[in-house]
Amino acid sequence: MNEAAKPELAGRIALLGNPNVGKTTLFNRLSGSRHKTSNFPGTTQEAVLGRITVDGVEHQLVDLPGIYALNLDSSESSVCRAVLNGNLAPEGEAPAKPDTLVVVADSTNLLRNLALVAEAARFKLPTVVVLNMVDLARRRGIHADESRLSEILGCPVVAMSAKSGENVDSLSGAIAKATPPTAAVGDSEADAERWADETYSAIAAPAPEDIDDDHDALTDRLDRAFTHPVLGIIAFAAIMTGLFWVIFSLAAYPMDWIDAIFANLGGWVEATLPEGAIRDLLANGVVAGIGGTVIFLPQICLLFLLISLLESTGYLARAAFVIDRVMRPFGLSGHSFVPLLSSHACALPGIMACRAIPDRRDRLATILVAPFMSCSARIPVYVLLVVILFPESPTMQAVAFAGCYVIGGLAGLLSALIARRSFLKGKSSGMALELPSYRAPDLVLSLKTSAERGWVFLKKAGTVILAISILLWWLGAYPNVGPAPESEALRTQAALVSDSEQIAALEAEADTLDQRYATQRSYLGRIGSTIQPVFAPLGYDRQLTIGVMASFAAREVFATTMAVQVAGTEEIEDEGVQNAIATAERDDGTPVFTTATSWSLLIYYILAMQCLPTLVVTAREAGGAKWAFLQLAWMCGTAYISAMIVYQTLRATGLG
Amino acid sequence: MVSASDPTQPQPVTIPLTQLQRGRKGRIALSDEASPDSAMLRAMGLKPQAEVRICRLGQPCIVAVKNQCGGGCRIGLDRSIADRVMVCPAD
Repeated sequence: MNEAAKPELAGRIALLGNPNVGKTTLFNRLSGSRHKTSNFPGTTQEAVLGRITVDGVEHQLVDLPGIYALNLDSSESSVCRAVLNGNLAPEGEAPAKPDTLVVVADSTNLLRNLALVAEAARFKLPTVVVLNMVDLARRRGIHADESRLSEILGCPVVAMSAKSGENVDSLSGAIAKATPPTAAVGDSEADAERWADETYSAIAAPAPEDIDDDHDALTDRLDRAFTHPVLGIIAFAAIMTGLFWVIFSLAAYPMDWIDAIFANLGGWVEATLPEGAIRDLLANGVVAGIGGTVIFLPQICLLFLLISLLESTGYLARAAFVIDRVMRPFGLSGHSFVPLLSSHACALPGIMACRAIPDRRDRLATILVAPFMSCSARIPVYVLLVVILFPESPTMQAVAFAGCYVIGGLAGLLSALIARRSFLKGKSSGMALELPSYRAPDLVLSLKTSAERGWVFLKKAGTVILAISILLWWLGAYPNVGPAPESEALRTQAALVSDSEQIAALEAEADTLDQRYATQRSYLGRIGSTIQPVFAPLGYDRQLTIGVMASFAAREVFATTMAVQVAGTEEIEDEGVQNAIATAERDDGTPVFTTATSWSLLIYYILAMQCLPTLVVTAREAGGAKWAFLQLAWMCGTAYISAMIVYQTLRATGLG
Repeated sequence: MVSASDPTQPQPVTIPLTQLQRGRKGRIALSDEASPDSAMLRAMGLKPQAEVRICRLGQPCIVAVKNQCGGGCRIGLDRSIADRVMVCPAD
């Protein structure tokens, strides 16, 4: 969102709280869609900035990382401390103490949350305490006296439910009246705990004995099932398979619409504009290039929607322990689960999340293998190839797609094992993780996350990928060599015959010869022909070699590159981009995508390191360029050898 | 982490969390202060005098931390960590 033209904001309001207290839900309620994401400089902690109107004046709203305590020796805690002290602000903002601090507390777990309130009160900033999830607490028979808490603290307290919207309106009034807490908390950890204990006794209404036993019994049963050594793994596998099946069956519809829209657009450009370089650029470079990428938007949005829905149910924390059992033999722990799961979106946040892994060797191993996880940039390539491999069977497509994720995961685990047995020798440390209450999935929050990720993808399609498309088109279209020598004979022959069908056939053949002649002699063709021998053992021709090379700029460019390369040779507007790529031909007229080539490509893309930003972040987070080189050499070597084995085996057994 | 019980009283029996039976309750006595997780566990709610109930034994060990007036949280612990957390069993 463009914030540059907006007037200066009146002040800064910071949101602080434990993880899983509904802080992000409250942030979204307060700021609506008006927010942007940046970083805290010098850290890898994400800063989310929004706006909130208090008393008719716009304020800046900063969502701080969720923390259990301010005094911990963790990156999240130190970011929060620095912001509250006025030493740190999100990138592009001047560091200053927040004008108001909003501490969000979970009403269903008040005692622990009061300890953080006590720590926050020491900063003596104008403060408001939010007792969130009050609706859930009420249902469980938990009551707290917020006006008594307000008296004890000496600052406003608001009980609300950010999720249902109950009483959220009164927060801006409370922010306007925020005052520094007057409560004397003391300096030590024990002081803060004692204050929390005393305050809790004063404000919490005594509950009937064992009030939430029914609730507990159900949660106990679910927890035991989801973390069970056998049941837990079956549940995890079933949930993940269901997730990918839904993605494939639902995304097919919008993908068809997008395909049709871009096919029509290309046809319209060709029909409307006069023949020439501009028309070719627009139809074959821009429309085909962007279309080849945007078509994967539905899948990316659905993946993030479903993962976010799953996360909001509380299941993922249980899954971390299931995964812990799987990862431990490989020298990793459940601590690596969140970084590795995030890496399925993008390796960058995944590698940054590795900071939360306490053990250094554990952390290094996770950083090294994180890019083996299938990131969203690989989705377009996977989709393209599994559809080519199984054109008639959506079920097999889903199985193969899920299989890509499994292969990537296994490669990561085996690599971690090798690392933990050699240069990162040692056992990984145990895990302690809060298991949030089971809740109904939060559709609003998940839709928002999904829309954000989709928007980031579209922005990339409109900038980096557009630029690469235009460059590729230019490299492919020039130098203009004119018609092929053989095609002139065909055209002469066409002029002599009278049957119109025969004329059309001869001219079509001549056009194909021309196109192939021009492509081979273009800059792109020459580059491809030069490098192609390197990839020949993997079964790639000149066009695929160019696709693979272009992917080092951004993996999702592969489909685009193929679309731009085939754009001239096929009638894209009749068949759609996907079909045009699937039926593309080599220079000798044989298909580009045989079964062996497609499997070999799929394996290559699952395993290869083709992302410069990831290498940069690896070097930074692991503490040295040697780790990035190791990652690059290890991943590309594994990819090359595995793809070669797959291709040669399929060829030798006659399956390809 | 220090024991929160009164030093003049006879010390109650403390056992590792993992020796508490499933469904039984206890109070946190102390945890291994040298452990790197100790400050984190304390901030997560496993502090002296906190009332806990064992929901699952084994790997992972799941404990519910109970607030006196209802509510609380659940924490999953690796068995090696749970072994170092000492509790006084409640009757």
